[in-house]
Amino acid sequence: MTSRVALSTRLTEAVEALPIQMGNTAVRLGPGALGLLLGLFIWHLGAVAYGPFVLPTPLATAKAVASVLSSVDGWAAVLSTIVRVISGLAISLTIGAGLGIAAGYVPFLLRMLMPWATILLGMPAIAWIILTMIWFGPSHGAVIFTVSVMTTPVLFMGAAEGVLVRDRRLDDMALGFGASAWQQFLRVGLFQIAGHLAPVMAIALALGFKVAIMSELITSVTGIGGELALARTHLDVDMAMAWVVLAVSGLLAVEHTAVRPLRRRLERWRAIGRG
Amino acid sequence: MSVTVIETPMTLAAINYAYSGRQVLRDVSLVLREGEMVALVGPSGCGKTTLAHIATGTLTPDQGRVLRRYRRHGVVFQEPRLLPWATALDNIALSVELTGVKRKAARDKAHEVAERAALLPDDLAKFPAELSGGMRQRVSIVRALAVDPDFMIFDEPFGALDAALRRRMQDLVLSAVADMGFAGLFITHDLTEAARVAHRIAVMDARGQGILGSVTPPGRIGHRSEAQLFGFVQECLANNPLFADLDSVDERAAPTFCGCDPIGLSRCC
Repeated sequence: MTSRVALSTRLTEAVEALPIQMGNTAVRLGPGALGLLLGLFIWHLGAVAYGPFVLPTPLATAKAVASVLSSVDGWAAVLSTIVRVISGLAISLTIGAGLGIAAGYVPFLLRMLMPWATILLGMPAIAWIILTMIWFGPSHGAVIFTVSVMTTPVLFMGAAEGVLVRDRRLDDMALGFGASAWQQFLRVGLFQIAGHLAPVMAIALALGFKVAIMSELITSVTGIGGELALARTHLDVDMAMAWVVLAVSGLLAVEHTAVRPLRRRLERWRAIGRG
Repeated sequence: MSVTVIETPMTLAAINYAYSGRQVLRDVSLVLREGEMVALVGPSGCGKTTLAHIATGTLTPDQGRVLRRYRRHGVVFQEPRLLPWATALDNIALSVELTGVKRKAARDKAHEVAERAALLPDDLAKFPAELSGGMRQRVSIVRALAVDPDFMIFDEPFGALDAALRRRMQDLVLSAVADMGFAGLFITHDLTEAARVAHRIAVMDARGQGILGSVTPPGRIGHRSEAQLFGFVQECLANNPLFADLDSVDERAAPTFCGCDPIGLSRCC
C-alpha cells in the first residue's frame, strides 16, 4: 500500500517536474541548436549564391551522405578510418602515456625525453606522411604509424604533467598508512593522472582523425581521406562535402562513445564539488 | 637488583633534520610511554609538523633514530587529505586495505568503525566535496582509527575548525583513547587543546632545538573540567617559562643560525 502511494507520489512529482526539466534542457541545448541552424542557413544562402558546382546545399550534402551510408563500401571507408585512428591512439597511449608516467616520477627521464617530445610536437604531420609513404608505401601501417607518432608526444606531455601536478599530500597520506610505492601509484596517483589525461585524450583523438584523413588522402589508402581524394579527382563537390560531414561525425561518434563517458566517470566527483 | 623495563611505544632519539639546507630540528628527543598521549606544543614554525612526519615515517631524519615498538599506527593530518574521487566509506576502507585486508572485509570494517564514530550510512556514501569541513576531519579520524592502531599521530588536526567543532573532535579523540587505549603524539599549538587530550604536554623549542620540558595537566584525561583546564592554561602562560615562546609567531620559521648564545635553551637575542 505504502509503496503504491509512494509510486503515485513519485509519478505526480515527475509529471510536475516535466515542464521544468524540458525548460532546463531547452536552456542547455537551445543556444547550440540555434547556432547550428544559423550556420546551416548561411551555408544554404552561400549554396544558392554560388551554385551547386562550388557549394552544394545542405540538403544535397545530406542526400550524398545518405547514399554513402546506404552502401557497404561507404561504411567500410568510414570504419577503416575509425579503426586506424583507434589503433594509432592505442599505440600512442601505451608508449606516450607509459613513458609520460615514468618520466613524471623520474625527473632524469623527463629531462632526457623532453627535447624529443618538443621536437616531435613541432614536426608537421605532412613531413611524417611523406616519410611513412617512403618507408611503408601506401598501406594501413603508414596511416597508423603517422597517427601514433603525431599523438604520442601529446599524450606523453599530458601524462607527465598529470604526475607532476598530482596532490603529493595524498601520496604522503598513503605512505603514512604504510602504502608501498606501487600502492601509492595505484591507489592515489593513477586516478589523478587519468583525470588529467582524459581531456588530453580528446585533443589527441581529434588530432588523430585529422592526421589519418590527411595521410589517407595523400597516400590514397581507402578510407575517408581516400574517398575525399577520389571526390576531388571527379570534381564531385557533393561527395566531398558529404565526406567532410562524415569525418566530423566519425570523430564525434568516437568521442561520445569512448572518451566522454570516461571523462564523466573520472570527473564525477568534481561535478559534485561544483554542486 | 631489579631492572625495570619501561615499554616505550615510540622513542625519538636525537633527531636532526634539515630542509633544503636549513636546520629545522636539532637533537630533538622524546620518549612516549605505554598508553600515554603526549601533546607536543610549540610556536608556529618550530618544526612540530616536521617531527610528526618523521614519527609517521614519511620523512627520514638526517641523524638520530626513531624506535617504534607498536604494531600499527594511524595518522590524522592537518588537512583531512581524503581522496576527492572516493566516497567517505572508500576513503576509510583505503587505510584498512593498505594493511593487507581484502576490499570487502575492509569496507565492512570501515562501516563498523564509522558507526562507532557516529557517521551515518548517508554520510558514508558522500564524496568529500559534499561534506562539511568538520565531517571531513571526522572521516579522516575514522580512517585512522579503522586500522586498529596501537599508536596514533595527530598533526595539528583541528586547526582549521571553529571552537565548537574542535571540541567535538577532541571528544571523539578522547573517547577513542578511552576505548582503544592507544598511546599517541598529538601536535598542536593550542595549549587548551593539548591540556584536554593529553596525559602530558611536551614543549618544543621555538627553533626546533630540542624539547624544553614537559608538564602534566591536573586531573585525569577525559575528566578535566573547564575550570581546571582554564586555570592550568592561565598558570602555564603566566608563570611557566617553558611556555614563554608559545605565542611568538614567525611565519618565516626563524632561521636557526643565530648570533647569540648557542648553548643552553637560548631564546634569541
